[in-house]
Amino acid sequence: MTLLWLRLAVLLYGIAALAVLPAALYDRPRWRHIAVPATIAAALFHFVSLTETLNAAHHRLPIETHELQSLLALILALAFLLVYARYRSVSLGIFVLPIAFLLATLAAFRPGQETFSAPIRTGWIFLHIVFLLAAYAALFVSLLASLLYLIQERRLKRKSTGHGWLSPLDTPLETIDQIALKSLLFGLPCMTAGLLIGSVIAQQDYGAKYFTDPKILLTFGLWLAYIAMIFIRRASGLRGRRAVYLSSFVFLVVLFVWAANQFSAVHRFSIP
Amino acid sequence: MSQPTQRQPTQRQTTSRLSIVSPAFEAVASHASEGSLVLVGINHTTAPIEVRERLAIPSTRLADATRTLAQQPGIREALILSTCNRVEFITIQDRNQDRVNGSATPDLLRFLHDYFAVPAASLEPHLYEFREREAVRHLFRVASSLDSMVVGEPQILGQVKESYSIARQAGAISSALEPLLQRAFAVAKRVRTETQIGSSSVSIASVAVDLARKIFGSLHAKTVLIVGAGKMSDLAARHLIQQGATSILVSNRTHERAAQMAAQIADQISTQLASDPAAIACTTEVIPFDQIYDQAARADIVLTSTGSPHPIFNRSHGQAFLERRRNRPMFFIDIAVPRDVDPRMDQVEGCFVYDIDDLQQVAAAHLANRGRESAAAEAIVTREVDLYLERLQSRDAVPAIVALQNSAESIRQSELERASARLAATGAALTPAQLSAVEALTRSLTAKLLHPQLTALRGTRPSDKE
Repeated sequence: MTLLWLRLAVLLYGIAALAVLPAALYDRPRWRHIAVPATIAAALFHFVSLTETLNAAHHRLPIETHELQSLLALILALAFLLVYARYRSVSLGIFVLPIAFLLATLAAFRPGQETFSAPIRTGWIFLHIVFLLAAYAALFVSLLASLLYLIQERRLKRKSTGHGWLSPLDTPLETIDQIALKSLLFGLPCMTAGLLIGSVIAQQDYGAKYFTDPKILLTFGLWLAYIAMIFIRRASGLRGRRAVYLSSFVFLVVLFVWAANQFSAVHRFSIP
Repeated sequence: MSQPTQRQPTQRQTTSRLSIVSPAFEAVASHASEGSLVLVGINHTTAPIEVRERLAIPSTRLADATRTLAQQPGIREALILSTCNRVEFITIQDRNQDRVNGSATPDLLRFLHDYFAVPAASLEPHLYEFREREAVRHLFRVASSLDSMVVGEPQILGQVKESYSIARQAGAISSALEPLLQRAFAVAKRVRTETQIGSSSVSIASVAVDLARKIFGSLHAKTVLIVGAGKMSDLAARHLIQQGATSILVSNRTHERAAQMAAQIADQISTQLASDPAAIACTTEVIPFDQIYDQAARADIVLTSTGSPHPIFNRSHGQAFLERRRNRPMFFIDIAVPRDVDPRMDQVEGCFVYDIDDLQQVAAAHLANRGRESAAAEAIVTREVDLYLERLQSRDAVPAIVALQNSAESIRQSELERASARLAATGAALTPAQLSAVEALTRSLTAKLLHPQLTALRGTRPSDKE
């Protein structure tokens, strides 16, 4: 039954991902009346599915890879809805919804066998996971917004005429910039809180040796890169191409950190 | 039965007055109970401005003119629509006023002659006249902005509504024009909602504002620098202020001219604030021309229209401005010929430069798009005209339908009573069960016999219904 809800959510994410294209790229605002409700419905089914999955697995934490993928997809969909509620912009959905669709599809059709290797203590660790996933999602949203900024800038400079493909997006340039910056500003406290909670738990359970692991060091490096990126963006008003380069670099670090889960001695996913 | 007629040309200009009548419609006379709907007018396609301005009625005199028109002999209801591109007189006339000298407009012509002191002969070549179905269609097209000089422009609906409001207050609108105008407003709304006819700007000034919104979103709290005090920049500045720009910097080679323009803009802002307390306050400031390079970075939008033979702003200026603005975007609207902004400035990341050709291309593309959308809008109007006339005809047929049904019922009952009496006289009176069966049979027969006549009176076929 849980997979049924998730597959229904996948279907709705797919519909939303398709509907958002004419709404954002072809200047057909009526399509947002399909994209947004479909995403809301998908997020609801997704939440029900995730909750039932965790209950059925007799743990309250998303510790298996497909559960984490599913949670990340849900957070991305919620980020899209949050941006829509605040800025009335669906442009971000061009990227976010297909990625939410893919992540949810992986979870729905290829439930993973890998689980987190270390013993898990419920409670605070739940916050650790949710905060870090929210920070990753915020960084991802910021990267996508920077890309959208670039697209909108190019379209405005191309001086394309009329409606349809290649006409400027429905979201103003400054709004896209605000989304990019505010996502980062939202992500930083999430990442800080997530790392702090994780550090306290690790210190209690494993002691100082936990912090010498390359994966953990890389994670703290990511945190510093995150701060540096916000500082540079705010200090120099970095926008456009250079902002995309910077966000891409930090996102690359995120991918390294995620990949390091496979090799870390103390913080890894493995087949039980 | 009213059948949808072939689409007629909506307007024609002839050397004599023209009457466009749908014979099928005239046969059923949808406004029969109220009179005959007649629309007479001139617009930008039939009359030059010299003629239009002689008939133009300022809004302060519109109530008086409408009242005077409604008091003309043979005219029951009236509405006057007077805009810069058209003057139209929409009337419900007594049916016995129809067809005098082959036209329906003697009272209207007399009114035009008396009220405007314009010889009827000089107007006749420019007048168009629509009656009944075509008048309904024309009104729907006008309200939907399909008959406007710039198709899809939004002002016309407001102007029709204002005329309606004035005519209503003057007591010139009653049971015939009221539903017609309400329907016209609904049709215009439907056209706007279901097509994209009015979704994009088609004037240079509004295209510039639209582009500014694509860059900045809301123009609230944005600063505009106007370089060169031309008429176009004044117009564009007014649009920007209306959209929320809160600071206007004006610069011109002649300082006095800049000060004069700043004062004019300040006056306009004061008027706007006085009439609309919700309007956003806006400040104006004159910048000496030799300081524009120091001050330009303050502006989010730079509007230039000087007569300078060489560019005033070049690429390095753009880079310097962006640096000072910490890369916040700048929008240059260059409506000067020769151009005031070096086009290479557009290569600077964060600088957006649109010259007059760019703006005109966008406006032309939007206009072409409106043309494509107008086909869909025309289809809506045609369907709505049919629906409106069907409803009207159905409403007018109600007394006849009731009379026919009463007559048939009366005949049925009297025949039934006669037959019952005969049977009773021969000792073969019907039992209650038999009487009930005969009652049902006669009712059913009557209903079936009447059905085609009632359908014809209602003017609808089952297949016509939505």
